[in-house]
Amino acid sequence: MTLRAAIIGYGKMGQIRHRAMERHGGFEVVAACDTHTGFDAGIPLMTDPMQVYDYDPDVIFCCVPNMMIPDVVCEALKRGKHVFSEKPPGRNSDDVRRMRAAEATRPELVLKFGFNHRFHDAIENARQLIAGGTMGDLYFMRGVYGKAGGANYAQNWRNDPDQSGGGILIDQGIHMLDLFLMFAEGFSEVQSFVQRKFWTDVPVEDNAFALMKSPEGVVASLHSSATQWQHKFILELYTRGGFISVNGILSASGTYGTEVLNVALNRLDQDGNPIPNPESQEIRFTEDRSWDKEIAEFHDAVVHGAPVLCGTSQQALDVMTLVERIYAADTDWTSQRAGHAARAV
Amino acid sequence: MYTPVFIDELPDASTVSSRKSELYRLTRARGLTELLLDGTTPWHDRACPGCGQDRSQSGNFSQALIPFHRCSHCNTIYAAKVPAQAPLDALRARLQAERPEAHAEADAGSRQEFEFVSVLNWIRLTEARAATGRPLAQVLDYRFCSENPAWPGAVARLAQNRGWQFLPLAPDSEPLADLARTLRQSPPDAVLLNAELDRSADPRALLQTIRDHAPEGTLVFVATSCADGLEYEILGADSPSFVPLDRLNVFSVKGFEALARGLGYDCLEISTPGRLDAVILQRYFTEIESAAVPFWSGFFREADRDRLRDLQILLQRSLRSGVMRFVLKT
Ligand SMILES: [Zn+2]
Repeated sequence: MTLRAAIIGYGKMGQIRHRAMERHGGFEVVAACDTHTGFDAGIPLMTDPMQVYDYDPDVIFCCVPNMMIPDVVCEALKRGKHVFSEKPPGRNSDDVRRMRAAEATRPELVLKFGFNHRFHDAIENARQLIAGGTMGDLYFMRGVYGKAGGANYAQNWRNDPDQSGGGILIDQGIHMLDLFLMFAEGFSEVQSFVQRKFWTDVPVEDNAFALMKSPEGVVASLHSSATQWQHKFILELYTRGGFISVNGILSASGTYGTEVLNVALNRLDQDGNPIPNPESQEIRFTEDRSWDKEIAEFHDAVVHGAPVLCGTSQQALDVMTLVERIYAADTDWTSQRAGHAARAV
Repeated sequence: MYTPVFIDELPDASTVSSRKSELYRLTRARGLTELLLDGTTPWHDRACPGCGQDRSQSGNFSQALIPFHRCSHCNTIYAAKVPAQAPLDALRARLQAERPEAHAEADAGSRQEFEFVSVLNWIRLTEARAATGRPLAQVLDYRFCSENPAWPGAVARLAQNRGWQFLPLAPDSEPLADLARTLRQSPPDAVLLNAELDRSADPRALLQTIRDHAPEGTLVFVATSCADGLEYEILGADSPSFVPLDRLNVFSVKGFEALARGLGYDCLEISTPGRLDAVILQRYFTEIESAAVPFWSGFFREADRDRLRDLQILLQRSLRSGVMRFVLKT
C-alpha cells in the first residue's frame, strides 16, 4: 500500500527522509513545506504548514526545529494523520507529554520519533549479543559522542535554548542516552558536569559529562561534546563474559568514520579468571541502512499495524526526562541557566 | 553476509617453526608417495574442486610426486590426482597412531588452547548473530577430534550449554555413509568441519552429504586453509604449511564460495582469520638470504613486530590470510 506523505520542514533532514521514502517505494511524497521554497524539489513546495493538508496526506513527516515539533505533531494527530517526527522530541519532557496527550486521543494513529541510532547495524548486532545472553550480565557502559561545534555555531537555532531546549547534550548526546536506555532501561541515580568552554557567548552547554546508575547496578558514563574537534562516536559495553565496542557511526555527513563493531569473549585461565586481552572479532559496516530500516518500521506500523519498537513516545519521554535530570544534576549549571533566564526576562 | 576480522596477539615465530616439524612433513610426504606407488590404491584425476575449471588451463607443480595445480580462474590450489577416500583415511589413521608429537603438541599448551577457544567463541558469536531463531544446542564435530586428540577434552571443559557429538576418522568404514547416518539419526543444529576440507579427497561429496542429510537451517562451520593468503601467494608450495597430505585442497575464497553456493548453501559469513602469514614470511625471508621477491623480501626483513601485526590485520580485512572460515547454512 502506498502512503501519501507530506514533509513539514524540508531542510537537510526533510530531504534525507524524502530520499529514504523513495528508496522504500511504499510512499508517495505529495507536498513539502519550508521557509525557503525557491528551488525545484520535484514536488509542490509551500511556506504554510497548513497547506500540506490540502494534498490529503496519510502521513506527516515532521522535520522542523525542536520548538515547532509539538505544534506540528499535535496538529497532524488532530487531523488524523500518522506522524513520523525527528528527534529531539521537542525541547523538554513537557513538550513530549503534550504530544503524548494528543496521541492518546487517537490510539489508531502511529507516532514515531527518529531515534535512528538504534537501527544502525553495529548497534543492532550489539543488542542481539546482549539480549541473547551471549555476553552475560551487563556491568557498565561508556559512551562518547562529539564533534567540532560547526559553522555559525553561535547563530544556529540549535544553540538558542528557547528554540532547541539546550546544547550538544539534547542535540547529539540524546542519541547516546537513547542507546543507554535500550540496554539498561532506566537510571535511578544521575550525576553530571555541564559546561560551556569555547562558545561562551551562547547560553547552552558545549560539553556534558554524566554518570548514571540503573536500579540493577549498571553504571553508564556519557561524554557529549561540541569541543572534541574530531568527530567521534564510541559506545562500549562491558559484561561478565567480555565486551562489545562500537567505534564510529555511519552518518549522513560521513564524518564519524566507518562503523566498527568489536566483540570479545573472555578466555579463562585454569582457575576461571579472565586472561587479559582476549581475541576480538571486528566487523566493519560501510553502508548506512538505518534510514531505510527506520522508514520501513514506520511503514509497517501504519500499513500492517506492526508495533513500533524504536522511537515510541514513551522512549521519547524517558530520554527527554533523562536529559533534564542530567542538566539538573549539575547545580552550578542550573543556577547559571536560571541567571540567564532572569536576564532574558 | 558478514566478513569478521579476528584480532589477537601475533604468535611468536618460535612457536610457528615447531608447528610442523620436519619429521612430520617427511612422514606425511612418504606416506602419500607410498600410497601412490603401491599399485593397489585407485587414484583419479580431477578438475578444480572449487570452480570446476579444467586443470589443463592452470599452472602446475609437484610435491611428493603428486601433481598440484593452481586454478587460473579461482586461485584454488589442488592435487590434480587424488586417491579414494578409504585408503586415504587408512593412511591418516596409521600416521596419527604413529605420531609421537601428537601428544607433545598438547604441551604447546596455551597457544593450542587459544585456538580451541577461538573456534568455540566463533560458534557462540555466530549463533548470537545468525538469528536463526534457535540455539545451536547440538554440534557435530566431523573428524577434528581425530586430527587433534586434545580437542574433545577442551570442548568438555569449555563448551557451555551445548552438546557435542564427535565423529572420528574411522578407517574401516564407509566415511560418507557413516556421516549421512549420523546426520539422520541425531540431527545436529551445527556441523564443524575444522581442518578437514583440505584433507578430503572429495570435498564436494562431503559438503553434498551434509546438505542432503542435515535438517534445513543447519549451520556448517568450515575452517580450512586459504590459497588467497599472502603466505601461499608468495611461497606457494614452499610454504611450511604446505604438507601435501594435509593440503589436497587449498581453496580460494572465490573457489570455496562457488562450491558452497553451487551445492545450494547460503553463505552467512566469510573470514580469513589466519594469524601466521606475516610471521611465516618474515621467518622465510630472514632464513633464506637469497630469497628475493620484489618489495616483500625487503619489507619482511625490516619489519618489526608492530608492522607485522598491522600487515596481518590488513590481510584479514582484505580476505588475504592463509586460513579461512566460512559459515554456511543448509
Ligand atoms: Zn577454480
